[in-house]
Amino acid sequence: MTGTRILFALCLAVIVGGLGYFLVIGATYR
Amino acid sequence: MSDPDDRRRSRGLWRDNGLTLGFGCGFLLVLAGQALAGHAAFNEQLTVDGLQRIGLGAYLTSSDFAVDVTENWQSEFLQFTLYILGTVWLVQRGSPESKEVHKIGKETDREQRVGAHARKDSPRWAGTRDWRQKLYSRSLGLVMGLLFLLSWFAQSVCGTAAHNEQRLRQLQEPVGWGSYLASADFWNRTLQNWQSELLAVAAMVILSVYLRQRGSPESKPVGAPHASTGVEG
Repeated sequence: MTGTRILFALCLAVIVGGLGYFLVIGATYR
Repeated sequence: MSDPDDRRRSRGLWRDNGLTLGFGCGFLLVLAGQALAGHAAFNEQLTVDGLQRIGLGAYLTSSDFAVDVTENWQSEFLQFTLYILGTVWLVQRGSPESKEVHKIGKETDREQRVGAHARKDSPRWAGTRDWRQKLYSRSLGLVMGLLFLLSWFAQSVCGTAAHNEQRLRQLQEPVGWGSYLASADFWNRTLQNWQSELLAVAAMVILSVYLRQRGSPESKPVGAPHASTGVEG
């Protein structure tokens, strides 16, 4: 189940990281 | 020659996580496709407006790309949030997407294997009797709901920037975030995504009463009667 746990964490990281990236873009008026 | 145990384990990892990996890789490919198509479309508009074209890197860090991605993300997370929470209280007789009609509601501790009814292999927080059990019992809906709110907020912030960029091009005053939240652009982007998600869920629920897909857990077994509810194939 280690691989599954890593995928779980990776999935959340991609989503939250992606949203953080887009928020910075929007907030800095790019 | 490699160790047969290692080979088995490695094959197991890919097979065991095929659904996540398949859809995850598909997501990355399609996002790349969206970036290329969006970049081309954006440049076409710039040319029409008599402005200079921008590079792919500039487009990927633009609010136009960001708002296009986040408006779709928020609606998908909303769809799953509503589906997770709605299926606690709403049922559809005959649908494998629904639980059985008599199980409407949060069900008993025994059925949910929480507190004293937790088993040896239950997640640790399911066996507690305090706030941890309450939190863990709602964790899927909570996380999906939070991702929806965060994506929708990101859509509103990126949408404000993209909308203002367009307004400035047309020599109009930029608007603030609050004004953008009340704008037609924000609600047009939001609602056009919501309507499609709700239609897709309603269609999936009712179509799966009478139609089958052999081998799919989203369908009932092919020979299952139309009236049987909450049965996976």
